[in-house]
Amino acid sequence: MKALGIAATGMLAQQTNVDVIANNIANANTTGFKSGRAAFQDLIYQSVLQEGALTSTDGTARPVGLNVGLGVQGAGVVRLNTQGGLIQTANQLDLAIEGNGYFVVNRPDGTLAYTRSGNFNLSAEGQIVTLDGYEVDPGVNVPSGTREIAINAQGVVMAYVDNETTPVELGQLSMATFLNDAGMKPIGNNLLEETTASGEATTVTPGDPGVGVIRQGHLENSNVNIIQQITDLISAQRAYEMNSKSIETADQMLQTANQIK
Amino acid sequence: MGTTNYVSLSLATALQRSLDIAAHNMANASTAGYKATHPLMEAVDPTNSGDATQAVNYVRDKGVYVDATQGALVPTGNPLDVAVSGTAWLGFEAEGGQAAYGRDGRLAVDNEGRLVTMSGAAIVDVSGAPITIPSDAGPSITIASDGTITDRQGATIGRIGMFDVPQIDKMTALGNGLFVPAADAGAAQPSENSKIAQGYTEQSNVKPVVEMIHLMDIQRAYERAVKMMDDENDLTKQAIQRLGRVV
Repeated sequence: MKALGIAATGMLAQQTNVDVIANNIANANTTGFKSGRAAFQDLIYQSVLQEGALTSTDGTARPVGLNVGLGVQGAGVVRLNTQGGLIQTANQLDLAIEGNGYFVVNRPDGTLAYTRSGNFNLSAEGQIVTLDGYEVDPGVNVPSGTREIAINAQGVVMAYVDNETTPVELGQLSMATFLNDAGMKPIGNNLLEETTASGEATTVTPGDPGVGVIRQGHLENSNVNIIQQITDLISAQRAYEMNSKSIETADQMLQTANQIK
Repeated sequence: MGTTNYVSLSLATALQRSLDIAAHNMANASTAGYKATHPLMEAVDPTNSGDATQAVNYVRDKGVYVDATQGALVPTGNPLDVAVSGTAWLGFEAEGGQAAYGRDGRLAVDNEGRLVTMSGAAIVDVSGAPITIPSDAGPSITIASDGTITDRQGATIGRIGMFDVPQIDKMTALGNGLFVPAADAGAAQPSENSKIAQGYTEQSNVKPVVEMIHLMDIQRAYERAVKMMDDENDLTKQAIQRLGRVV
């Protein structure tokens, strides 16, 4: 009786499903977070009887085969890269991307990471950094005495220093795009890494064709749809119960078989 | 020794397989594009005596058939999710380049720019060739109801193929939502009357209530089969005791 094992794969799949949904709900208020969805596929089939096999000397053939599927497996967690809502914060270093693309972040070990979360700050040295203190790439140095920073939609950073009325151009924020965004690897702290599945990062300027623009003074909300998540949670629970019912039935049948004497 | 036990045994064995199939359906209740399978039983008269009073009919599982009914389409908001509304199948290039068909349209772009399923099988156009998305189009593509893919500027990138596959019941399931048609089934033809919905996935067509009833049915029938074996056993025991009694 394979039903015990098959139903177990179903229960495991629903556990993964609930884990992913729980992570989405937990991050419903995380800036730039993209919701994930667990995707499943049916497992391989065990062929008990081959379709098309001859059933008699007259050349008649078995019209259908007997293939018993062995359950379900997780195929991946798909990140839904739709735009999150923009909320106004009035903080001049809060940046949101409207459209395609990622901010590039320099990690202390010298490697690059990518993020949609633009809640930046200034470091003690005047660098624009993330909440973890990682420098935004390419580095922009804000001189002391700056009273206001203006960042336009194309990522040009201007500063009004002291009492000057004309701004000084400090630098240009670039962004990165990927052929397959969904293939990037999330590493926590709102950061994503490039992988072989995502393809190499293409450095782009905000506002280029097909690339998003920067909105200063805004943050991108997570794109988690809470109602959707709750209904998904309910279906996951019911599917889990259904699989446990298969196990119960298989168990009772085995018990019946054990009582033959 | 009578054949009763063997008849009961054939039923019990067939029912175990039915349970495996029902469990597999339920395990895949949330697998996109999954098509439920159901067992087919047949009565086998091994003696072929033609004498109705002598006939013994065993139960044998003859095969499984694929329930091809449409699953519900649910919106996902993902532009790379496509679902077929209608009877057509999406074409895929399975391992080793063989043509396979399925209804799971949760697609992704791989690092070569090809449109692929979650397990990496490329979806094909009407001519059977994989579809490549140019790198500047990215995921911002529009897929029309006839499968035509256009980029943001409206230029055509390709067209997702929809196929009418002959003799669906003879298809072999490969797993990962893919089916291979039988060797003698004839070529799949481009389908005209089905539509593709972008941003939707087709849910599994498993009917949970029906499967639960199958489970109850299977369990009770199994108990019946075992009860029959018990009764036969009791009869034999009584016969031995009674005939062996010294008068």
